[in-house]
Amino acid sequence: MKTVKNKEKREIKRAKELDKSEISEMKGKNQPFELDRRSVYKCVQCGTCRSVCPVFNVVGWESANTRGRMLIIKSLLEGRHPSEDVLPSLASCTTCRICAAKCPAGVNPPEVVEAARAQLVKCGITTEVQEKLRASVITSGNSFGEAKDRTHWLSETERSQLPEKSDYVYFVGCFDSYRYPEFAEKTFKVLQRFGVTLLPDEQCCASPLLRTGFREDAEKVMKRNLEQIRKVGAHTIITSCAGCYTTLKNNYPEELHVISLPEFLAEHLDELKLKKLDLTVTYHDPCHLGRHNKIYEAPRKVIQAICTLKEMKNIKENSRCCGGGGGVRIGYPDISLELARNRLEDVPECVDYIVTSCPLCVRNLRDAGGDIEVIDIVELVAMAME
Amino acid sequence: MDITTELRKIVGLRLSVSPSELYCYSSDASQVKGTPDYVVRPKSTDEVSRIVKLAYENEIPVTARGAGTGLAGGAVPVRGGIVLDMSGMNRILEIDIDNIQVVVEPGIIQDALNDALIPYGFFFPPNPGSSAMCTIGGMIAYNASGMRCVKYGTTRNYVRDLEVVLADGTVIHTGSKMLKSAAGYDLTQLIIGSEGTLGIVTKAGLKIAPLPKTRKLVIASFENAEIAGQAVVKTFSNGVIPSACEILDRVSLQVLKRYDPKLVLPSEGDVLLFEVDGTENSAREAAEQIIEVCSPLALSIKLAESEKEMADIWAARKLVGAAVSRLDPTKTRIYVGEDVGVPIKKIPELLKRAQEISEKFNLHAMKYGHIGDGNLHLALFIDVLNKDEWDRLNQVADLIHRTAIELGGTVSSEHGIGAARAEYMKAQWGPAFEVMRAIKKALDPKGILNPGKLGL
Repeated sequence: MKTVKNKEKREIKRAKELDKSEISEMKGKNQPFELDRRSVYKCVQCGTCRSVCPVFNVVGWESANTRGRMLIIKSLLEGRHPSEDVLPSLASCTTCRICAAKCPAGVNPPEVVEAARAQLVKCGITTEVQEKLRASVITSGNSFGEAKDRTHWLSETERSQLPEKSDYVYFVGCFDSYRYPEFAEKTFKVLQRFGVTLLPDEQCCASPLLRTGFREDAEKVMKRNLEQIRKVGAHTIITSCAGCYTTLKNNYPEELHVISLPEFLAEHLDELKLKKLDLTVTYHDPCHLGRHNKIYEAPRKVIQAICTLKEMKNIKENSRCCGGGGGVRIGYPDISLELARNRLEDVPECVDYIVTSCPLCVRNLRDAGGDIEVIDIVELVAMAME
Repeated sequence: MDITTELRKIVGLRLSVSPSELYCYSSDASQVKGTPDYVVRPKSTDEVSRIVKLAYENEIPVTARGAGTGLAGGAVPVRGGIVLDMSGMNRILEIDIDNIQVVVEPGIIQDALNDALIPYGFFFPPNPGSSAMCTIGGMIAYNASGMRCVKYGTTRNYVRDLEVVLADGTVIHTGSKMLKSAAGYDLTQLIIGSEGTLGIVTKAGLKIAPLPKTRKLVIASFENAEIAGQAVVKTFSNGVIPSACEILDRVSLQVLKRYDPKLVLPSEGDVLLFEVDGTENSAREAAEQIIEVCSPLALSIKLAESEKEMADIWAARKLVGAAVSRLDPTKTRIYVGEDVGVPIKKIPELLKRAQEISEKFNLHAMKYGHIGDGNLHLALFIDVLNKDEWDRLNQVADLIHRTAIELGGTVSSEHGIGAARAEYMKAQWGPAFEVMRAIKKALDPKGILNPGKLGL
């Protein structure tokens, strides 16, 4: 006989629940809640998404899984008055897209959830954290509300020597600019030889605004970036952040040719002259690079040009979310970190590093603890170029 | 007495009365709707017992729910009250290989149980299409089965013992680890398929089976579904018992190909999938026999060439029910009239009549299912924004149910009655239905356990 040891699940504290009487039904501005009905009614409520939703896995309530979110959106479409009561459900989706990858009916829930968030913004229903994030982006041009110059990591000379015109723009992103300037430096160093420049006054790519429903504000920020990109005359935008990548690629006008850093590196491996390193690493697929844009092979090609790759338990389309996306890291830190801890369980034994290609993933996986250092792919490349 | 306060004393924060949360528990995968007043997520038998006792004393309806993947509204609280979300009680308590049994809590997911059993070389055979998300508790409550029931039987054949919380909160065990017992009524079998109307299952002792050494898959196509039905009857009468015997009509094939264009499936006709399992020799012999028996009737017939080819076909088959939107994005699969069953010999007639009915009402239908045990999943799909299509859909479902009863079959083979098919119970059972009523009254005199279900 064997007694089975079950993994003790950490209880995730839920935001204080509003009682019926407390729900300020009238808080919502009297705006209609509108969405493409067919995108919602395609859902047959089979529950396939329930078995893969990483947020549901740690929260446990039906409203925290994709089917629950689709049901709540359906209820709003059918006339239920939107109120703050829907936020713990609709604001806690990381938009990781694993539900869409598994949905037999072909529903794209992250798209529906983002559209619903935009409608909630229109109705005046947002969380405090969302508002704070929005204010940061609007007033300071970055998601952290940082006042210092975005290119503070460049020397005066480097800054003065940036070409005004170039075929390539390196879009740095808020995270690398302010939280991981060392990634930005290394990326810039690698890309410099290809004549890249930076935007003179790069703004947040608008991903945090788009993911949380502030579409009108996002338009303004995107416009400022776009004007500069056109002025530089670049035909290609390179970015090392998965969030910036998916935004630039899918939310900016189609005329932009956007390429992720791993793709660019994979295309230019010969020119980079990388050394072989005696290392074994694993690779975490960022959702916004992987499932959202199907970039699975390029980072692996780069890693394998440098060292041994040992895959995680769930990879590519089945990769588990780090918990950082969709505004969840900032809005629901407990849930977000628990997702990251769960992802670390997929790491194979005997690897030197966990490599990924998104600073948000780096941060969340690092914050989750664990014994193995989490690095960005550019750091591995930099090691191989030393 | 303030019920919210009392429930909080039992489960703390694992209680919700938020309108959004309640809304998420107001449906399953069927069209049945009903909003609860409270949702609780118990963690132990003791908590369930205290909640049910509270409900009993205050005459509040209690509806147990697993993953909410049901297709008949069984987990939908049509009279309000308390929903017990059992999915958090999901531990495997014991893997007892010496007795070829496991003890589990009801919230465990079927696939998770089987993943845990693979290292021991065993499995829990009943495998619904929803095995990746459905719970064992739900399977017990609805006597679920699936593709392999033709050889392995249904959930009913695998339950040895149940821990059950009765309507007044009393906790009983209905069996033991014994293989057999001649001591009185078989309460285990009474609880299985009772849809939470007689008690709440909080633990289950289950029989498991050794994994077969190998599986083989024969894929055959036929000019029409009726001829395919004849091929099934012929196969069985020749003494072959496949481990799965599935039909996919031509519409289902199109859907599957749209879902995964790389699937190796015939390009024409209606298709039968015969799976055989056992040792290498016995499986090969059985597959050869099926090919020999079916060839004269088939347009094409072949053996799947690799494990991967087989696995891909089964994975896609499991999802076919919901995948119809891939064919036409304006159409959504609605689960009504989807689970009828008839004696095997009547299958060709059921297929013919199902086709006639859907044509008469000008509704598209996809036919697939466990033809080997007489279970047909008729998939009707409509534009949900079109009221006329809803009307026709309900008429087709009604006729399909009545046809199954007329052919000596059942309105539900494995999905259950719930609220969706309650109106047919009397027609199907006649005076036996009154016995069910008497049992319900004896065990749940106040009618608090999942009221509004089974037509009771």
